[in-house]
Amino acid sequence: MNSMERVVMALQHKEPDRVPVYPIISGASRRLIGADYKEWSTDAEVCSRALLKAREEFDLDCIVTLIDLSVECTAWGQELIYPENEAAHPDYNNSVIKDIDEYSKIKKVDYRTCERMTMHIETCEKLVKEANGEFPIIAFVFGPLGTLSMLRNQQEMYMDLYDDPDAVKEAAKEISETLKEYCRGLMATGISGIMFDTLFSSGTIMSKQMWSEMEGELVKELAQTVRDEGGLVMIHNCGERIYFDAQIKYMDPCAISFLYPPDDCRDFAECKEKYGDKVTLIGCVTPATAVIGTDEEWEEECRNNMKDMMPGGGFMLATGCEYPANAPFDKARKMVELAKTVGKYKER
Amino acid sequence: MSIIEEISELLQNGKAKKVKELVRQALEEGYDPKVILNEGLLSGMMIVGGKFKNNEVFVPEVLVSARAMNAGLTILEPKLVEVSNEPIGKAVIGTVKGDLHDIGKNLVVMMLKGAGFETYDIGVDVEADTFIAKAEEVGADIICMSALLATTMAGMQECINKLQESNLRDKYIVMIGGAPVNENFAKQIGADYYTPDAVTAAEVAKSAVQGR
Repeated sequence: MNSMERVVMALQHKEPDRVPVYPIISGASRRLIGADYKEWSTDAEVCSRALLKAREEFDLDCIVTLIDLSVECTAWGQELIYPENEAAHPDYNNSVIKDIDEYSKIKKVDYRTCERMTMHIETCEKLVKEANGEFPIIAFVFGPLGTLSMLRNQQEMYMDLYDDPDAVKEAAKEISETLKEYCRGLMATGISGIMFDTLFSSGTIMSKQMWSEMEGELVKELAQTVRDEGGLVMIHNCGERIYFDAQIKYMDPCAISFLYPPDDCRDFAECKEKYGDKVTLIGCVTPATAVIGTDEEWEEECRNNMKDMMPGGGFMLATGCEYPANAPFDKARKMVELAKTVGKYKER
Repeated sequence: MSIIEEISELLQNGKAKKVKELVRQALEEGYDPKVILNEGLLSGMMIVGGKFKNNEVFVPEVLVSARAMNAGLTILEPKLVEVSNEPIGKAVIGTVKGDLHDIGKNLVVMMLKGAGFETYDIGVDVEADTFIAKAEEVGADIICMSALLATTMAGMQECINKLQESNLRDKYIVMIGGAPVNENFAKQIGADYYTPDAVTAAEVAKSAVQGR
């Protein structure tokens, strides 16, 4: 069984030969080819080569193109800072939206004029070509509210949501219209689907009602756009107490990549019981354990995740968020090894 | 409803302008600044903090309440200085070197203020030496360090190491927080406390300084 077959079976809630595995190696992959962070995140050739190297080196079952959360916001002119060994981030001293009255300047743009979006599309093209149908390529896209927060800064945007929700919503809608075209561009490369980061649909950030009002309908349309292009819709949300029910209601994803149990579940076992037949669960090993945890703690988390969520299929073992960009690779390797041994279905 | 209760309620609803107006009015009516602070602003903020901890309100609501508290404090602080209101302790707080995340840290600042601390927020991307220099400068009781990235939390260890090297470790209560850190990490690096949220951070800080 190759990776594509394995992942497809997991998405169909069937038991493949073993649990598919993907320790979300993104920025860390640059080290495998000796690239620097900026080069990796701005050059499609370098980025795709690094991601493919990681896939080959660790025998990963898919590639998710999580480059950083600042890809989309550059389409509206947001200036970025590229730290030497970290993911790029907006220059918070120079946000595009400096005042609550400036949301109205955010209008739909042509994604083809955005260097980082076109670089992402080019990366996907190269990956799809090399994958040759043997493993899925999933593009990673930050949702409209998330993209907007990169143009404003999160703290200010949270207060703006209170002070002038209509202004925020209108700007998010313009972004969403841009993202629809961007998603069509990504889907045209032949990728299997798109994973949307719905950061704000989390009990540690905003109420379910506020998220539904602010982003629910927008991500619903985005998800439908992807489905209309024949793609799979997935969600990534590494917040605590995320709203599985609301996200499923609006987006009807085939899979959710997550780090903590959702707001209405005590633990991962209950999450499996409650949502295991609705979505494929991807996760949920703590990335920080790769840095501060012992080998035993890492292994225990991997084993516990599989024990709770692999029965009956519909599960992929992964980190709940990106594998730390500067962490040693031994724990990623261990995760794959555990998926191949402990995660075997036929011997259970 | 008394004007003090009204201040508390308006703060809980995030009404910064009205809080400012009522604090000014309360002072004009002769209310003790300490009463306005403790029973109006801090009491309101503690109620919001409690609701936040119980998942009844969320980050946007806490932020607008904190903004309302700050608005009230701008009017009140000169009067508090006149009556020499003693803080329960002094805390220096920042996000460690290489990390620009500040919402969690800002919430802790608000809760510490709400608990009666004199709080020195030294911002984000803070060098270990800067935490120590500021703590020494202001005579702090507590150093609070925040990190959201697994790659930056080593900055907490660096600060504690430097405190030890300078024979200053026992002088300060060291608290850490942020998504990637936990109790084990706190023990591993020799921090005194790890707290999982802003409200708990303020409760632990208060109890720690009172227990000294």
